[in-house]
Amino acid sequence: MIQLVLTLVFVGGFTLATFLDPRLQALRARADDGTGFVAALMGDSRRLFANQFFVEADVYFHSGYYPTIFDTPEAEETLDVNSKEEAETPGAAPASGRRPEKDEGGGFLGPPRDWVERFGRHFMPTQHTHLANGKVAEILPWLRLSADLDPHRIQTYLTASYWLRGTLNQPDEAEQFLREGLRANPDSFEIYIELGYVFDYNRKNPRMARNLFELALDKWKKQDGAGLKPSPKARVEILDGLVRADEEQNDLKQLLPDLEALKAVSPFPDAVEKDIQATRAKLAAQPPGRPD
Amino acid sequence: MNNVMALAGVVIKEMYRRKDFYVLFVMTALITLLLGAMRFFDNAGIVRFLKEICLVLIWISTLVIAVTTAARQIPAERESRTIFPLLAKPVRRWELVAGKFAGCWLACVITLVVFYSFFGIITASREQAWPGMIFFQAVWLHAVFLAVVVALVLLGSVVFTAQSSNATICLIVVVGILYVGRYLNRVADGLRGIGGDIVYALYFAIPHLEWYDIHNLLVNDWNGIDWVTMSGATLYGALYTGFLLLAAWMIFRHKALTV
Repeated sequence: MIQLVLTLVFVGGFTLATFLDPRLQALRARADDGTGFVAALMGDSRRLFANQFFVEADVYFHSGYYPTIFDTPEAEETLDVNSKEEAETPGAAPASGRRPEKDEGGGFLGPPRDWVERFGRHFMPTQHTHLANGKVAEILPWLRLSADLDPHRIQTYLTASYWLRGTLNQPDEAEQFLREGLRANPDSFEIYIELGYVFDYNRKNPRMARNLFELALDKWKKQDGAGLKPSPKARVEILDGLVRADEEQNDLKQLLPDLEALKAVSPFPDAVEKDIQATRAKLAAQPPGRPD
Repeated sequence: MNNVMALAGVVIKEMYRRKDFYVLFVMTALITLLLGAMRFFDNAGIVRFLKEICLVLIWISTLVIAVTTAARQIPAERESRTIFPLLAKPVRRWELVAGKFAGCWLACVITLVVFYSFFGIITASREQAWPGMIFFQAVWLHAVFLAVVVALVLLGSVVFTAQSSNATICLIVVVGILYVGRYLNRVADGLRGIGGDIVYALYFAIPHLEWYDIHNLLVNDWNGIDWVTMSGATLYGALYTGFLLLAAWMIFRHKALTV
């Protein structure tokens, strides 16, 4: 009797396994988005950690001087680690690798409220500084971890590439990371723009940069057509990139339509109009039949 | 004083006979070395990430060692009934409390020296520079922090019956102070009426253990703290340690020792 029951349980278990396995496999396929084991283990919670690690990069960028949940939080897009000024002007920084920054509105700490707070500030960073020069590399581990946890978080690739290709002068690593981002986000025009910058600014390859900006424009238009409302500012950046690549290649025939497209969306159409007139004048001055 | 030092010696011997310290140290070293072997974007100059992880592990390990070591001292003596011959020696009750405290704290300081030596070696090898004054200040402030924690746990061990509950409650209190203690005044501002007053009173009454955690300064290579502030923090820690030990002795003095 016991043997019969055991056999029945075994057969029941086997049948149940054959029934459930395809359904579980289907579930796994839905969860799988390139992060494999991590995705299976953490599920959607990994996105929270990815965001937190990205913020941690900003904490490091400020050398620990950072608001907590008890202070006024910053919106992600306003985080200083996304800054667009510093890579262009790496300049000389103090030996500490920290460049002092102005604190808007007196900083998040404000004046101390009591003697405990006043005394406690001796034991924590209280100066607003940004990492400078090679020290900026300290933020990279957090960006790497953030991308590992959430490969669809495009901002992580852009920020890492910005510092790698700019201040750190590591365009190869920037390109590799961006291509990794493209594999996870093939429709991202933002990554194509950043990749265009790598080829334009670092590799001095305007032809390749132009191709990448064209791809970015194509992706932007697709998203716009699908009603996803891509950032209009990104379109200006793309067209600006195309114009710059045309200028570097001295491709005046291509430059003219690109400038006209830029004029239609630029916040400074008058300045672009001047460039259009100048380009027309150059084109008119060219002897006929001369190759561009 | 001899009695106090003799009792302290026993506690220190007990610590190096137990496996807690070795397990936690090996785990810390292993995790740090594994992370140290990682390369991010082919950049060899990245070190703060490693320093932070190593320091977090050191803080967790030393806190666990301090709490578990201190929590079992008096209850273990009572359960094994060795407290009777000990007090019959004669050792006074204040000497027992002081001896247990001195033993636990010195054991923690030895642990700290080992952990921070490892941290210093790892940091120096990666940064190609010896740690500055802030490193030694971090060790000292950590030691003062552990003195307050050990005193708090000893007080708990004469208040609570089970050592597990004492250890758990003390861990929650210490971690709570470390993370929220600094902001209780702001929380109090947001509360109205008597609730706000209670939180404000709590803010001034608790030992501000978060002052002793300067890992943010150490990781990010900030300058050292001035010596007047260091002395102030040491005095503040010593006062709280003294107060907690006094309270532990006062309760222990009137406590029946039967299990």
